[in-house]
Amino acid sequence: MHYPWWQVPFITAPMLIAAVSVLHVIVSHYAVGGGFFLAVETRYAYRHSRRDYLAYLKDHAWFFILVTVVYGAITGVGIWWTIGLASPLATEMLIHTFVFGWGMEYVFFVLEIASAFIFFYYWDKLRPKTHQTIGWIYAISAWISLVLISGITAFMLNPGGWPQRRDFWVGFFNPQFVPQTLARTGGAFLLTSLYVYLHASFRVKDADLRRLIEARSARPALVGSVLVVVGGVGWYAFLPASARAALAAATVLNVLMLVIFAVTAVVFVMMYWGPYRNPGWLSPGFAILFFACGLVAISTGEFIREAVRKPYIIYNVVMSNQILPEEIPTLRRVGYLESGTWTKAWVAAEYPQVMNGEEIDEAKLLTLPEEDQVRLGEVLFQYHCNDCHAGRYGYSSIGYLTRGWTPEMIRALVEAPERAKFFMPPFAGTKEEAELLSKYVVSLAPPFPSGMYFGNGR
Amino acid sequence: MDPTSLVGPSNPLGYPAPYWFLVSFKVLGFALHAVPMNLWYAGVILFMLLYLRGGANGRRLVGRLMKQMPIIVAYGINLGIIPLLFTQVAYYKVFYPATILMAWPWLSIIGLLTIAYYGIYVYIAGLRGDRLRWFNLAAGWVSAVLFIVMGFIFANGFSLMVNLDDWPSLWRGSDMGGAPLGLALNTGDPSLWPRWLMMFGLALTTTAAYIVVDTAFFAGKESAEYRRWATDLAFKVYTVGIVWFAVTGSWYAFGTWPSEARAAMFGGPQALLTALTAVGPGLPWLLILAQRRRLTRRLALFTGLAQFGVLALNAISRQVLQNVELSRFLDVTAEQVRMQWSPLLVFLILFVAGLSVTFWMISKVVEAERQAVGSAG
Repeated sequence: MHYPWWQVPFITAPMLIAAVSVLHVIVSHYAVGGGFFLAVETRYAYRHSRRDYLAYLKDHAWFFILVTVVYGAITGVGIWWTIGLASPLATEMLIHTFVFGWGMEYVFFVLEIASAFIFFYYWDKLRPKTHQTIGWIYAISAWISLVLISGITAFMLNPGGWPQRRDFWVGFFNPQFVPQTLARTGGAFLLTSLYVYLHASFRVKDADLRRLIEARSARPALVGSVLVVVGGVGWYAFLPASARAALAAATVLNVLMLVIFAVTAVVFVMMYWGPYRNPGWLSPGFAILFFACGLVAISTGEFIREAVRKPYIIYNVVMSNQILPEEIPTLRRVGYLESGTWTKAWVAAEYPQVMNGEEIDEAKLLTLPEEDQVRLGEVLFQYHCNDCHAGRYGYSSIGYLTRGWTPEMIRALVEAPERAKFFMPPFAGTKEEAELLSKYVVSLAPPFPSGMYFGNGR
Repeated sequence: MDPTSLVGPSNPLGYPAPYWFLVSFKVLGFALHAVPMNLWYAGVILFMLLYLRGGANGRRLVGRLMKQMPIIVAYGINLGIIPLLFTQVAYYKVFYPATILMAWPWLSIIGLLTIAYYGIYVYIAGLRGDRLRWFNLAAGWVSAVLFIVMGFIFANGFSLMVNLDDWPSLWRGSDMGGAPLGLALNTGDPSLWPRWLMMFGLALTTTAAYIVVDTAFFAGKESAEYRRWATDLAFKVYTVGIVWFAVTGSWYAFGTWPSEARAAMFGGPQALLTALTAVGPGLPWLLILAQRRRLTRRLALFTGLAQFGVLALNAISRQVLQNVELSRFLDVTAEQVRMQWSPLLVFLILFVAGLSVTFWMISKVVEAERQAVGSAG
């Protein structure tokens, strides 16, 4: 409404955020956990004079740089790119609130890059103690960047007292901060073990070294699993009521939650009885299976984290359709088309006959020919609904969802979507606009499927 | 359609710091980002050509500098975060609409950058072996071209931010129900082409200055003949860059700036800034000229610093011009300020602490390098 809405066919623009986020988190967590792995294990290898293990760690550090510094850094910027395009108002609010938080994160990014390159390129050139210190600088910097971004992502789910006080620290140390930090730290440790297994299973041929790697790398996964569960419980405990209700109501989210806990439990048990207690299991197949489990768990977690926020992008601060909750009464009174920067310009250009001076005359909207009313309804749909629903076809398409509905049913839904589904934002427009939107949705709704028998004659 | 009607309302939270602070960090951040960005923007294609046409010394130089490129790119990406952050805080009313209108090209930068960055690694993997194979060379060329394409997309995005006059036609040219499809490019803007090309000329000068710095500080193991050749090459590249910059810069300023921008940039106190920006590259050029006979670390350091000054002047001028061009549509300084003192202080403290830790790490690297040279001697 404040900004032009980007029409992405079939999948809708916000799904691009989900896609880029998942592509990022599967590496960004490794960027944190891998830092601790390299720091701890390099120290172990130096202390026990394990030159073979040091050689492996150097090889792993190169893999780590290729994956995290290149792909991880670019996809991290990719999230910035995508949220600015697909969720501009929420990004604007977040950046006006947390610009210095991101500034702090940037400082740690710079430290991460410097320390990662020095750690790898000056392997064998620095004194062991200095080398280890550099490794720890990386690990701690990476973890602090995780803490900083956790504060911001947690804020989106439950900003605590921020809406009343609008204070940076109140927003940052929100009720979800500790649980999400714990869960993400755990996820980072857990995923790192899986990356190490994947790498070592292909790169290490020596059986003794392989067993050493297997046993030592099981420990972060075991600790990580515990942290994920503790953090997950805290996450659930501090969910806003609407998010908890969304979780309970949506079957798919329930199933996904079960998937996360089941996968985490399976990985924990297999790690404990396998690599930790009985090293010798490590093979490419085993590593790929574990790695796939890790990706499923972490991707699912991100999806749930996004999904339960509906009908908000930032709970009680920005609605999922790019308006502020406090704007809704005005939009209902004055009109969504009139209040939207881009919608008003569109109407003024396309239908100057409905303009009364500088303002849209809402009463005139319904005097337009039917076809034009449907066109205006499409504008309302794009700006008001396309954040979550594709049109006729595609992701959560309104066509599929309203198949066979009568115009009255559609009209009732459009006027008060939050009454039908509490995780939908309320309609933020006038009665005339509700009529326009209804007409557009009716034009999309396919007929009731034919051939269905309900016992009333064949 | 009046483009001003497409500028949205102010954010209710206001700026978290005064405008001067935000814009200072934006400009400083951009100047810092421009150093590595220039090196990949013009440097990579220059090195590809040098590998083909530069003889043995050319190949040595390519080997030296392309091996540094992964670190340069990593820092370039990171140093780009700060100007992007502060652009989004202070220029959100034009940044988001402009990038949404060209959403797909804008988003494609992420994919292109990933390919270009991995391409660099594939290229240098060949440098570690005895010779570059066809796929190493192909990867290097792909990277070089993609970096230039990305520069074109960036030039589109940032020129579209101030070209509000074209927003209505770009928007209405490809929309569905009033929602843009994100396929626009700002190619109808006459300032786009000289702006993009001028940046390439500037990037050539930065690459040349960096060759001088690398030769003076990091090429101690190279022969005297190589060092002379590299300095001479730097002079030639800088000369080409400065001519390119002068031609495209003149085209940009005299051929495409609107009258109010020309009046603002060539009159009053801004005239001095514009003049310094125009003649600034002359100083590093003279410094390189002075080193053609004998390269010294002191002069090389001055060359590097002077080139940073050139980039900083350019960044300041661009900022002033951006505000002049936007002044027809909005006043970016007219926003309420709700100071975030304690986060700002923590950020500044961490900034200084981060720099200190970085310097400590660099000191350890220098120490290790000295020990390596000592033991080799």
